[in-house]
Amino acid sequence: MSVLPFPSFLDTIKEKGLKKAVYEGIDDVVAYITAGMNVKDIREALRGEAPSRRPNPRLQPHADSFWLHMRPSYFHQDMTGVYPTFRLGWLSTYFVVFETITGLFLMLWYTPSPEIAYDNMIAMLSNIPFGKFMRDLHRLGAEAMVIIVFLHMLRTFFTGSYKKPRQFTWLTGVILLLVTMVLSFSGYLLPWDQLALWAVTIGASMVEAAPPADIVGKNLNLLVRGGPDMGANGLLRFYLLHVLLLPALLFVFTGVHYYKVIIHGHSLPPQKENIGEDTAKRVPLDKRVYFIPDVLTNEMLWIAFTTLLLTVLATWFFKAPLESHANPQQTPLHTVAPWYFLWIQGALKLGDKVFWGLVFPGLVFGFLFAMPYLDTNPSRRFADRRFALTVCFVLIAFLMAFTYWGYPTVGVATSADKEILFEMIPEEHAGVLRPIPFDQLAPGAYTTAQLEGSASEAALHVEEFTAMLEETGYGATMQAELTANPVLLRIPGGKLNWSVIPSTSPELLHALEELEHLMHNHKAELVNPFGVIIVTQDQETTKRVDVVVSWDAVNEETGEVTRQFNSNQAYVHSNSEWYER
Amino acid sequence: MATANQAKVARDTEQAITVSTPSRREFLYYIWMASLVLLLGEAGAGILWFAYPRFKEGTFGGTFTLGPGEVPGAGAAPNSKPAGRFHISHLGDDSLIVLYGVCTHLGCLPSWVEANTRFECPCHGSKFELDGKYIEGPAPRSLDRFVTTVYFEDGTVETTNTEGDPIQLAGRSIARIDIDTGNRVRRTGAKAKL
Repeated sequence: MSVLPFPSFLDTIKEKGLKKAVYEGIDDVVAYITAGMNVKDIREALRGEAPSRRPNPRLQPHADSFWLHMRPSYFHQDMTGVYPTFRLGWLSTYFVVFETITGLFLMLWYTPSPEIAYDNMIAMLSNIPFGKFMRDLHRLGAEAMVIIVFLHMLRTFFTGSYKKPRQFTWLTGVILLLVTMVLSFSGYLLPWDQLALWAVTIGASMVEAAPPADIVGKNLNLLVRGGPDMGANGLLRFYLLHVLLLPALLFVFTGVHYYKVIIHGHSLPPQKENIGEDTAKRVPLDKRVYFIPDVLTNEMLWIAFTTLLLTVLATWFFKAPLESHANPQQTPLHTVAPWYFLWIQGALKLGDKVFWGLVFPGLVFGFLFAMPYLDTNPSRRFADRRFALTVCFVLIAFLMAFTYWGYPTVGVATSADKEILFEMIPEEHAGVLRPIPFDQLAPGAYTTAQLEGSASEAALHVEEFTAMLEETGYGATMQAELTANPVLLRIPGGKLNWSVIPSTSPELLHALEELEHLMHNHKAELVNPFGVIIVTQDQETTKRVDVVVSWDAVNEETGEVTRQFNSNQAYVHSNSEWYER
Repeated sequence: MATANQAKVARDTEQAITVSTPSRREFLYYIWMASLVLLLGEAGAGILWFAYPRFKEGTFGGTFTLGPGEVPGAGAAPNSKPAGRFHISHLGDDSLIVLYGVCTHLGCLPSWVEANTRFECPCHGSKFELDGKYIEGPAPRSLDRFVTTVYFEDGTVETTNTEGDPIQLAGRSIARIDIDTGNRVRRTGAKAKL
């Protein structure tokens, strides 16, 4: 006899009483959601007790649920610690999820158009709550992911876990490494600042070199950039790559990769197995650590801890840079590729861009792909793999050498005066002079001559310097150049009055010392140099800083000596706070 | 027999509703879980704050600041500002009202028809007076108003009240008007069509 005209929960209440019916109802719902574990099973697992019913209810969610289906229901005890995997594979997957989530949030405020993208970045950094934080997290995660994936590959190599039957797992892993690097590269363009535009232009130009250059290279370049140079089409294509195609590939190949890992089982530490044997799947009963609850709760702890670490780093230590708006008509001096591509930029300095830009990386990755099929040594123990390990260390050494060569200071150095001025007032970053606190930029004209002797002799040296400028006429020449168009410095009173830096400006003194230091480093090229810093203030809230480097240029043929001047300038606003960057 | 049945029922009932106290380990798991839920809740709140649209001054959703030159003469045609989606109406009794220019029916934009001295909606024919009052048509109520703050040259300040009534100018000269297009007043209840 039903309470309602149809069977319902009310009948259960009538039959068993309210309390029992509700408890059993909750129990059923919990068992349904967890795909097999009721409240008692969960509590037993949390208490660390053995399951009270058979078959073990903690295995059923793995068989019946979607989310746990690919996860193993138990691990080998030896694989649950930090060694031997260092959890790097797990961390790599963590970063896939982390980057997806932070990236999705950033997508709320970003439009991939050259007209809008940079404004979006500014808005994110200044006008959106947690915008800067989200961006810093995403950038930090991207750089960390490249490192972690690379370390994961190294670890897999060192423990010989790529050997039969896991060769294909390694192959999908190399694909994932490539996808990670291209993801990082495509995302690099999106802020549409000078760094983004030029770093990616360099990278994309390697595509243009693909031989034959006038057929394959040219058209591949057009396809990638959506035009002859990187503009609106290129930005859109890179954006679509970054948020659609590459994540799709990433998810698919992560799935394949992880599936293969589970099918074969995590390979045990090399010492724990006989050579040539693979016992990963046959885990003895006494060595099993079950996923529910031990590994699951452990992973949750790692997620919390890693997220905390990334949050702390992004809040206090890591700041994603933003340079000035992308300018397709001007390449800043010392444009740097993202650090994980420095090795290619270093290689490109060695010679022909087809070989070093395409063939060489192709060979490197080709080798990585083929390596497990070439290495048929059945032993995973270090002592039996001396050749393989040596090759690995040699390659790492080459990688480090190429990366060093990739730095802009190697082989791309321009004239000494330009280098010095670049260090003091670079086009895009803070440099030495901009971060000086506004109130320490005391208006006046200062010279490196004051550093020649001890601090007490500074005033004397400045007087000597003033006299020297008068006698030689250098003072008038320098002033004429600084006040001419387009440099157009407005000197109060029309004459530069040289003085010692006041004691209330220690940072300015430090900058002067840095200038002296840089000139000293280039002393081979600069004959009789002197350096000058001039601070002027036309408005209450804005100051202008000029740096001048002067030296004798000797004409090699005639022996004639002419005095040279080069200068750079920057405006600093009282709210600029460059020291924050 | 009756006793045995009662015992069975009692036992069943007892088994079903006994909840053992958690062990220390189990309790700690629950606390961790609760802290994670709290954290996720806070993160969720942060994410909502992150995602909420930003309103810039001078764009729809933000505040518009206008000078006295933008106020039409008393009883004259309203000054329409499409960027802010509002009309500034200076009524015949020297009061000021800023109307939200979107029809309260289904979202089209009624325009001021000088010949009939009223707003007429092109979509379904709703009609409204200069002060936004409903005349006829399928619209459910009069036009909505934006909260307006009028700064007078004599130093006094008047703001729209909670019912959206016009602001009495009382002959004073206006220095400036702030129209908050993020703050809208609907006419409700008895005053809905007034």
